[in-house]
Amino acid sequence: MALFRVHIPILDEVKSKGLKPALRDKADDLITRVTAGLDIADVRGVLRDDPPGRPNPRLKPHAEGFWLHMKPTYYHNLVDGLYPTFRLGWLSVYAFAFEIITGVFLMIYYTPSPLIAYENMLDILSNVPFGRLMRDMHKLGAEVMVIVVALHMLRTFITGSYKFPRQFTWATGVILLGVTLFLSFSGYLLPWDQLSLWAVTIGASMAEAAPPEIVGRNLNLIVRGAPEFGAGGLLRFYLLHIIALPLAGILALGVHYYKVIIHGHSLPPGVENVGEDTARKVPMDTRTYFMPTILTRELWYVSGLTFLLVAYSAFIFHAPLEPHADPLVTPLHITSPWYFLWLQGMLKLGDKVLWGVILPTAIIGLLVSLPYVEVGPSRRYGDRRIGLSAGIVSVIAFAVLSYMGTPYYAVPTSPDQEAVASLLPQTQPGPLRLAPWGQLVLGSYEAADWQQAPTPAMRELLHTFDEELTRVETADGQDVEGIMVVEDWQTDLKKVTIRVVWTDAATNQPHEFSQTAFLHRNSDYGQGE
Amino acid sequence: MKWQIALGTLSVVATVIVLAIVAAGEPRRMAGFTTSYQARQVETGALIFENSCRPCHGAQGEGIEGVAPALNAADLFNGNRLRAIGFAGTVQDYVRATISSGRPVPSSGTNYPQRMPTWSQRFGGPLRDDQIDSLVAYVMNWEERALQGGAEVTQAPPGEVVGTDITVPLPAGNADQGKALTEGNLGCVGCHILGATGPAWLPSGDTPGMGDRAATRFGQADYTGHAATPEQYLLESIVLTNAYVVEGFGPDLMPANYGQRLTPQDAADLVAYLLSLR
Repeated sequence: MALFRVHIPILDEVKSKGLKPALRDKADDLITRVTAGLDIADVRGVLRDDPPGRPNPRLKPHAEGFWLHMKPTYYHNLVDGLYPTFRLGWLSVYAFAFEIITGVFLMIYYTPSPLIAYENMLDILSNVPFGRLMRDMHKLGAEVMVIVVALHMLRTFITGSYKFPRQFTWATGVILLGVTLFLSFSGYLLPWDQLSLWAVTIGASMAEAAPPEIVGRNLNLIVRGAPEFGAGGLLRFYLLHIIALPLAGILALGVHYYKVIIHGHSLPPGVENVGEDTARKVPMDTRTYFMPTILTRELWYVSGLTFLLVAYSAFIFHAPLEPHADPLVTPLHITSPWYFLWLQGMLKLGDKVLWGVILPTAIIGLLVSLPYVEVGPSRRYGDRRIGLSAGIVSVIAFAVLSYMGTPYYAVPTSPDQEAVASLLPQTQPGPLRLAPWGQLVLGSYEAADWQQAPTPAMRELLHTFDEELTRVETADGQDVEGIMVVEDWQTDLKKVTIRVVWTDAATNQPHEFSQTAFLHRNSDYGQGE
Repeated sequence: MKWQIALGTLSVVATVIVLAIVAAGEPRRMAGFTTSYQARQVETGALIFENSCRPCHGAQGEGIEGVAPALNAADLFNGNRLRAIGFAGTVQDYVRATISSGRPVPSSGTNYPQRMPTWSQRFGGPLRDDQIDSLVAYVMNWEERALQGGAEVTQAPPGEVVGTDITVPLPAGNADQGKALTEGNLGCVGCHILGATGPAWLPSGDTPGMGDRAATRFGQADYTGHAATPEQYLLESIVLTNAYVVEGFGPDLMPANYGQRLTPQDAADLVAYLLSLR
């Protein structure tokens, strides 16, 4: 008696049906299992857009499979096209998945410690195949995700889709917007370069302003892990970024999706009677089935966007990597991430507590409660003039505040530093570091005599410098002189000193501001990092 | 719907092609980034050197006699200096170790009484690991020129030197020139940076400037030197460093060779500058 018996059913089938039919049946079976209900002929029919059989086999995966049970089996004809959804919700989910995939890749090479995090970045860039591409894609994907999610919200507002019965869907959407913003923001700190540290410091200073003082102080300690960012703060942001926020996002996304299925996609405003919601009852003749039409479109959107993200990251966009984080050196003109610039702009308007804490909290509260407070029954554009106007005003205010958050608005700096920073900015490589090394000819040059400089690159640099100085001169009515000195310093290393000299009109005292940069032949700042 | 399938498939194929192009270029890109990052380390290291090392080791690493040895020197890179002290590692290791943990005890047979401070945060100093790495990269970048002769070492001024006789009459001094000398290659600010406001001879808190201190000090009961005027006291402190050691400091800390390195004019300028600090 054998200890055990091996039984391979396919061999029996080959014996009884012959090789080819047996294999064909097996393949058919396999495909049916993978697609949760469609055999090869059904899949072929889907791809060719043949009319479905009766009963429609294409409904089966929705009932039996996990992934498609989250998708409606059919849409109303009117929500199938670009308008009214622009598929922004789907693209948001896609961006989230894209970030998870690229993020897991980066996680393999990352340690959340100030001692080694920056070195990990250098390793990813210098020693990991596809490392730079993954980093660039992760960064680009994050920016795209913020944009897509924000547009998704804007669209939902404009078409009035947040109204009854979808109030709660909207509320979960606001949570998802918050998760998106804070995912992106928490990721900012991880490379532990100057940009990370200071952009996040600006954002985190909001927590410190929360009144009363004892709350603010402790909130700040909780966020940063110490009075200032260090090992504790980095670990906290890392855990937020890779565990807490994605988990919150996945949960909120599940609820959000479920609500969309329960209520159906809201039809374009105006096709229904006021107060009516017929999205759940789609008549037979106006149905567009998920398979194949919606599925094809969604896959086409995703493959197209993937191509754009990959190609753009591969050839054009490179995530910046600034020098190592230094808590003692605040770079000139540092800003928070662009999607928080409006907050930075508000902070310039006055009281930190009012503009930095109370108002942002009020905005979040307003967003969450919007569908419960604004209960006007009509979704038609014509009936919502006040609401839509308020929306437009909000978008404009957001844009204006964002502009005010940039260094161009109300940042007190000294003109001498500005003039030097025009050549040697502290938050990006800037013209001097990007200038061809070989064209920096040794010698001492005056900005005013830029036309006499020996090389085109030097002429351009000195011209920029001179223009900046002229601006200062006309503003203050002072005589300002700009000097650039290029010295040979070491093998392949030049020392460039940029000096601004002026005489104070009031005291007749000479003043000077200078900054030094060392430039190596091979430093090549043109790579984008 | 057909065109969506076609475009979608095309996108996938195009994505794969882009990835293949990236893959083909990766070895070159990674090597390029490594090169450029090493170059940027040299740049960063140069800035740190300018701020932290220049006062003792000289602007071009040529060293300052009696203060700190030359780094831009052949014997560092050809291994002689390492052999002299029996260091078994590479030059780079030696440079990194010395910068990081300093020199608690001066090497025997050298003329550098000052100890080198610890610079790495791991040893209580101010610099992070990446800054130490940059500094090492910068010092190592001297190798080529150092082996060809290195920077000019500060020589004693040609001709007359002030010597160690503090009663010698000095020419008229220029305080501005003196200030420039303290910041130059004499190496003064390498050590005298103890005050919160800058060099130790400036007034700071309740302590008046060096001019006032000099005016009273040689009259104190514990004074062991021979100065009879503030000028002589200051000159004595510079050229006869052990004649009188201020309480709280040890003997032999200050190089004893300034009498041989300063011209009478330099000495007069320095004294004039110090006296001007009230």
